[in-house]
Parts: sequence; C-alpha cells; structure tokens
Amino acid sequence: MKAQGNTVWLKAVWIGTILTALYLPIVSVVLASLANTRYMRFPHKTWTLDAYRAAAADYTTVTLHVISLQIAVSVVVLSVLLGTIGAMAYARYDWRGRSLFQKILILPIFFPQPVLGLALLLSMSALGIAPSWKTAVVAHAVWIVPIVTLVISIRMFGYDVAQEEAAFDLGASRWQVAREVTLPALWPGLFSGALFAFLLSWSNLPLSVYTSGADTPLPLWLFSRTATNYSPLVPAIAVIGTFVSGLIVLALLGIRRALFWPSAK
Amino acid sequence: MAHSPAALSLTGLTKRFGKTTAVNDISIDIREGEFFTIVGPSGSGKSSLVRLLAGLDAPSAGRLTLRGQDITETPANRRPTAMVFQSLALFDHRTVGQNIEFAMKMKGVAPEARRARALELLRLVRLPEDYYPRPVTQCSGGERQRVALARALGSDPEILFFDEPLSAIDYRLRKTLEVELKELHQRTGKTFIYITHSLEEAMVMSDRIAIMRAGQFEQIGTPEEIYRRPMNRFVASFMGEVNILTVQQQGGATVFADLELPAPDAKGTFAVLRPEALSCDAEGTFCFDAHIVQKLMLGSRTQFHLRAGTATLIAEVAAGHGTTLRIGDTARFSFDPTDIVWVNS
Repeated sequence: MKAQGNTVWLKAVWIGTILTALYLPIVSVVLASLANTRYMRFPHKTWTLDAYRAAAADYTTVTLHVISLQIAVSVVVLSVLLGTIGAMAYARYDWRGRSLFQKILILPIFFPQPVLGLALLLSMSALGIAPSWKTAVVAHAVWIVPIVTLVISIRMFGYDVAQEEAAFDLGASRWQVAREVTLPALWPGLFSGALFAFLLSWSNLPLSVYTSGADTPLPLWLFSRTATNYSPLVPAIAVIGTFVSGLIVLALLGIRRALFWPSAK
Repeated sequence: MAHSPAALSLTGLTKRFGKTTAVNDISIDIREGEFFTIVGPSGSGKSSLVRLLAGLDAPSAGRLTLRGQDITETPANRRPTAMVFQSLALFDHRTVGQNIEFAMKMKGVAPEARRARALELLRLVRLPEDYYPRPVTQCSGGERQRVALARALGSDPEILFFDEPLSAIDYRLRKTLEVELKELHQRTGKTFIYITHSLEEAMVMSDRIAIMRAGQFEQIGTPEEIYRRPMNRFVASFMGEVNILTVQQQGGATVFADLELPAPDAKGTFAVLRPEALSCDAEGTFCFDAHIVQKLMLGSRTQFHLRAGTATLIAEVAAGHGTTLRIGDTARFSFDPTDIVWVNS
C-alpha cells in the first residue's frame, strides 16, 4: 500500500512537471499582455488591460481574424473534399500505381515549408497570379491536403466495405447507402481531418509569409510585430486569437456531439 | 409439392473475371424451404456464385429465376433475398436495434412497427430484449452472429444466403450456432442457401449439399448420399481424413498397388477407406502389416498413422482397442470389403 502511495505521488510530480513545461510559456504570454511596457519584463510595475482595450478598439484585430478565418475555413472545405477522394484512392480501392501514389502523396509534408512557400510564390508570379489570401489557401492546401488524406485514410482502412453491400442487399438505394452507412462510418475521420486542417492553417506562418500578399493573417502579423515593433498589443492579440480558435474548436466538437453517436434517430 | 416451382432456379449461370471462369455453367433448382449448402475449397467459386444469387454481381451468362420470375437483371436492393456476410458487415456505428431495423427503415416502415418486429427477431435469434439499444461494437462474436442473422431476417426475405458466416467462430460456439441455425430454418420455413468450406458443417445442417470445384458442382446429394456414396476422390477426401488406395492390374490379378494386397471384386479404380474402417484386430477380410508412425489419443477414439508398403494410412479405433500398440511397433491391421467406397476418378 505504501509503495503504491509513493508511485501515485511520483506520478503526480511527473504530470505536474510536464504540464508546467507546456503551460508556462502560454501563461507568460498572458502575463505579458497585462503589461504596459515596450519590453517583455517580469514582474510588471503596473498591471493593466490597456492592451486589450487597444486591441478591441483597433480595426486590425478584426481584419487579422477574418483573414485567418477565411483561409482556414477554405482550407478545411478544400482539404476534406480532396482528402476524402484521395483517401478512397489511398486506402479503399486497389489499383495500378497505388503504392506509388501513396509515396508521392506524402512528399509535400517532408518538404521544408519556407522553401515550399517560396516555390509556390515563384510559380504563382510566373503564372501572373497576384498573391492574396486566396493564394495562401492554395499554398496551405498543398501542405495540408496530404495530411488530411492520411488522417481520413486511417479511418478508411478500418472500415469494412462489405457494410455498403449489406445495406444495398437490404434494400437501400445507392444514395441511401452513402447517407446511412458510408458517411456515418467515415464521419469521425472527416471530423478529425477538418480539425487538423483548421488548426494547421490557423497557425501557419512559413507558407503565409510568401503567399498571402497584402492580406495579413494572424500568425504573420504576430511574427512581424514581435520582431520589429513590439508592444503588449502583440500578446493581447495572441491571447484573443487563441480564444477565438479555441471557441471554434469547441463549436466543432459540439457539432460532432450533436450529430454523432449515440443519437438514436 | 413436386410441382411447385423451384424457389430459385439457376440456368447455365456463368461468371468470368477476365480469363478465369469462377462460375462455370451451373444449372440447378433449389426447392422451396430447402437448406441447400454449397461446399468447396477456397477458389472453387462458391463465393462468386452466391454473389450472383444475391444480385451483388451480374452473371456473364445464364438466367436466374425466383419462383418462376426472372430476376437475372434485378439488382440486390430489389431482390427479396438477404445475405449474411462472411465479415457479418454489421453497421458498427449503429445499435443492435438500428441494425435489425435497417431493411424496414429503407422500406419506410413506421418506427413503432419496426421496433416491435426487431424485438420479435431478437427473441427469434435468442438475444435478450435489452440488447436492443446496445451498440453492436459491444457485442461478442456469437452475439454479432445473431444480430447479423436478425438483420437479414428483418427484410423478411424469401431466401437467405449465408457466405461462410461461422468461419471465424471458435469450435464450440460454432457447433452451438450450427444447431441453432438448423432450428431457425425449421421454425421459419424459409429457403436457406449456405456457403462453407467445411463439409462437416454442411452435414449437420443441410437438406442437400453441392460439392463445388473449379466453378462447377462435382456432386449434389443429401448428406447421407455424399457421405456414403462420394462420386470421386475429391468429394471423398472433402469429408476429412480418408485413405485412398489405388487398384491396379498386376500379372493378371487385381491388387491394391501400394499395399501389394490382392483386391478381388474391385468395383472401381480407387478404394476409399475411412479411418474407422481400419481395424487393429486382424479380423477383417484384408489383412496387412503396418509400421506405427504416430499414435494420437482423440478421446473416444485412438488414431494411428501407419506406413504399409508404399502407402501412408490413418486408422481410428475405439478407445480401449490397440492399447498395447506403441509408436515404432509393427502390427497387423485389417479392413472389410463392405467398408470400401469405390470411385473411378
């Protein structure tokens, strides 16, 4: 019993250490946002919410979030759509060249993102396309679609296709099979894919730097303002951005709970 | 009865995949209410055949009629048949009740009526009613079998197909389910068409058995006929371990070639002998000396692996016999002509 008590104590210390390591930087950002100094310095002489007031009053705050959101939502839609089709080719059907496809698909993930971003910028200017948030969507998709394809493939591999035949055999039309069997079975994979796509796009810097043009997404603004023109506004907007993305993820989880098992309809 | 149209009638049914012919020109009438089993090794085309019958694949040639009505071109979702799949193919994201009600839901049956019927089917397949709201993922192997069966019955099919549903089940549970399936067949009175690679399984349940090889039926008959009068070595050896002795002409006499034993009154080219036909008491008509290579206790019987002449044989004697025989001994074994099944190919 005593030995067990000791292990419990050790476990608590271990978990506590890890959580501290994970959350200390985040906490310090929150603390930094409550200062009024031009430098990150602890402890503060004055604690103030001025930075948040400034952020709320500044139209930039909204613009940054809207641009990031536009990009992220477009990337989610695009990558879930392409990822599902890709996952079918990846995991469901056996065809000539499948193993080659499986390897080629992974390649963009390993490509260093800054180089990928530059390459995409060069390609786009060669094609005469002006960079904007739309080109950033394409750039994000190049990197995120393969990841989402893999995420959905995992679900696809564990899915017994005979379920569709069984449904068809039991009188379902092709459309009913898709709605009643295929989609619900793949739904957790699609959801995880969407979540990945959103978070990866929302926080992406190296691809946006090159490809977003005049439209500035949140991470890009945070990066440039930290480097050149720091003020507590930077951590304040970072905190706000974290809350916004957190709320979106929570909303997605809520949607999943509402739609998914065990809703006996 | 004899004049009622066949439940299912196959005429020259053929399925080709590229150059291979999986199902080769099969014609047969399956009777109303019959438990008909198709037995064959893997690659014999039995699964391809049942997919044609269920409407999951279209035949390359031939016709299929259900109670006199041509259904060759009818897809699976509009055929009054249902299949229990090898993987069971239960809808994992649904409850037991939702699985069973699926076909009724597709037909637009009202929820209350669906539920009542589902509970009825749960009783029929011997599952407690409180399984109704459970996720199928929480069911054990045997329970999943029952759910799959109830789901197929939920479409109220004229014919039920089974594609090796018991192949992944452990021995004891399989034996129980075989008997239950047979009882269910008797209670529902529906036509069952069952696919398996185990003749033993087929024997227990079937009214008639078809032995399939290379896309064709080798022999069709009652379990008794298949067991007593196999048409050839393939069918005979399907029953499990059997001894096959070749008969040859040597110097004007007929002999069991491998045993160098005279074989008067040979009625075929090959003598099929079940292991239990060999006795270690040397009282039979044909006696031979054999070297005991292996001795295995099987519970109610003892099995000997023998080498005699150039032949390798298996003998099974009732427990209590041959107790003094040991591995390495040479002993006298025998068999009677009445126990021989003669085949020509």
